Amino acid sequence: MEEIEHIHILLVEDNPLDAELTMYGLRNTIANTITWVKDGQEALDYLFRQGEYQDLDAAMPGLILLDLKMPRVDGTEVLLQVKADSRTRRIPVVVMTSSREESDILRSYDLGANSYVVKPVDFDGISDVAKQAGFYWMVVNRHLQR
Amino acid sequence: MRLRYGLSSIRYKLLLTLLASNLCTLLVAAAVLIYNDLQEYRLNLSSELNTQAEILGQASIAALEFNDPKVAQENLALLKIKPGIIAAGLYTATGTLFAGYSRQHSQPHRFPPLPGLDGIQIADKEMWLYKRVVNQQEILGTVYLRAHYDLQQRLQHNLGILAGVGLLSLLASLLISTWLQTYVSKPITSVSDTALQVVSRRDFSLRAHKSTDDEIGYLVDAFNEMLAEIGRRTEAIEASQQALEHEVAERRETQLALQHSERRNRSLLTAMSVTIWISDKLGGFATEQPAWADYTGQSLAEYQGLGWRSAFHPDDQGHLDRAWARAISQPASFELAARLWHAGSSRHRHITLRTAPLFDQAGELVEWIGGISDTDDRYAAEQAVVQLNAELEQRVAERTAELETANKELESFSYSVSHDLRAPVRAIGGFAALLNQHQGAQLNAEGQRLLGIVRSEATRMGYLIDDLLAFSRLGRQAMQMKPVDMMALVQSTYSHLQNQHQGPPVQFRLGNLPDTLGDMSLLRQVWVNLLSNALKFSSKQAQPTIEVGAISDDEKHTYYVRDNGTGFDPAYKQKLFGVFQRLHDAADYPGTGVGLALAQRIINRHNGTIWADSTPGEGATFYFTLPRSH
Repeated sequence: MEEIEHIHILLVEDNPLDAELTMYGLRNTIANTITWVKDGQEALDYLFRQGEYQDLDAAMPGLILLDLKMPRVDGTEVLLQVKADSRTRRIPVVVMTSSREESDILRSYDLGANSYVVKPVDFDGISDVAKQAGFYWMVVNRHLQR
Repeated sequence: MRLRYGLSSIRYKLLLTLLASNLCTLLVAAAVLIYNDLQEYRLNLSSELNTQAEILGQASIAALEFNDPKVAQENLALLKIKPGIIAAGLYTATGTLFAGYSRQHSQPHRFPPLPGLDGIQIADKEMWLYKRVVNQQEILGTVYLRAHYDLQQRLQHNLGILAGVGLLSLLASLLISTWLQTYVSKPITSVSDTALQVVSRRDFSLRAHKSTDDEIGYLVDAFNEMLAEIGRRTEAIEASQQALEHEVAERRETQLALQHSERRNRSLLTAMSVTIWISDKLGGFATEQPAWADYTGQSLAEYQGLGWRSAFHPDDQGHLDRAWARAISQPASFELAARLWHAGSSRHRHITLRTAPLFDQAGELVEWIGGISDTDDRYAAEQAVVQLNAELEQRVAERTAELETANKELESFSYSVSHDLRAPVRAIGGFAALLNQHQGAQLNAEGQRLLGIVRSEATRMGYLIDDLLAFSRLGRQAMQMKPVDMMALVQSTYSHLQNQHQGPPVQFRLGNLPDTLGDMSLLRQVWVNLLSNALKFSSKQAQPTIEVGAISDDEKHTYYVRDNGTGFDPAYKQKLFGVFQRLHDAADYPGTGVGLALAQRIINRHNGTIWADSTPGEGATFYFTLPRSH
């Protein structure tokens, strides 16, 4: 039996309601720690240990859930930088957004997103999707050990 | 033919010739012979009488001397042997009748009383003779003899013979002529027959038959030769006549055409509002140019020679000169545009000068003829058009820019709408679900119902927003027309929908669907709409059946989706495709009412039509057409 994994997830989401629902969905799937940042700039600061996070001494997250539409620096910019930097390139990035626009999907994949998930508005909502996605990316998918 | 000529025919001529010659010969011969004969007769008779008289005389000497009339009478009576002797007499030397003898005893001859002189006398068909009887130079008496001398009778006799001979010779002539005409008149008649035929039938190929090798044969040859020559000549004449007629006709036609063309040109000239230009080979005006004078106001002194140059706009004179120089060195028609002073409007007007060289028969350049057409109005109009076009383009550009901005605004609007509207909807649904999970058990039935409503309505709102967004986005999207494999599209769409569908198993029949040209993602939306509708509305049947097929004709493909579900009231079929129009209760059949409107919009953009038919309770069929590409 394998060691139970503990995974660190970085959630980049500006809408607190969406964030809450997502985090609710992610619980119980696997032992995890979720760091929630509210916009792109914060995410970049966090990832590259700059700004208010420059003294951070924690491991890189094993998974990034990335919203696209955010103020200041939006998800596309974050994705670009994350995938450009060798320190962060290998982290799986799941784009979670309300946009169904083909252009957004294309661009995200072009920039190297590992997955693209649309936040649903139907019955079970985000939580369910987050749960499914989380299960896959945390359990099924192999990620790098930190 | 022979009868036609009657007595003047050659046959008769021949006959006559023969007869005439015969007759002549005959007559001449006869005449001579008869004359001779008559002479002979007379001479013979007279000689005979002489001799008889002599003999008688000598015989009668003794009688005379011895005056024995009886002996003398006996002597004389010896003459009865000769029937011709009418009477004989002896006279004495004194002239008295000594003895006499008459042949006719019944009517004795009346002897002349005295003998006449010696000699013969003739009268009244009688010849008598007196001859002196001389013995030893002594006249003893005179013998008188009288004989019949019928000259007339003899002549008649001769003539009779002549007549007989003549008749015979006539017969002979007839025979001969009949025999001769084979040789003479027959060939001749044949030639003349032929001639007549040639004339009446105008057939110069006929030839006379040559049967003899004489002058007539020669005539026949000559005749035939002549016919041949005539034939050739006639042919030649006819040919040349035809050629002549042809030429005359051509000439006439040409003349008519020429007249017509001249008339046309004349009227054309008068009809055209073009100023005529006639210049000599160097481009100068050598003759009066009334049209030019009218237009430019120049006088003869001013425009003659190359004076016309000054009537043109000074800026154009340069290229005018060049064009003329070029044209004169290599004569060819040319045209150029320039500005010419118009006396009437007191300004330069845009004109087009078109001129062509005129050559004489030897190919030498004689003069230039042409016309000046006033294009000023047209030029002004063109300028106006150009200006209008520019304005129009500018306006179009402005409008396009406006539209683009509006479009962009709309796009960002609907994008933000969708995004911003969705977020609270998500929250409502999501948190209501959370509430349900955390506290749901603590709610009573009513509470749960209320919460359920909140959740379902949130969901519905989400769908509405999605559909609305799709609907508005459709108008802005450019369609990507490509060949679409309809069967594959329907199959994948249906299997996707089927997976999500809950309900009794559906019997799905897919017919042969032809490929078409269209935007695949948009067409997929149409199928999604129609198929999900079919699934939805047939889900309450015990055995739901959905059938998809297509009918094609020359112009379009008609696809259809048929279900055996609840159908709809056909009275409302106009409303089916309205936005948000629903014909059913949301409780029975949930839906936003946008789906069909979306489908209609898509089909319309494909230049097709969409409609539906239904029998309530038995099902509905939705049809849409897509035009065929050719």
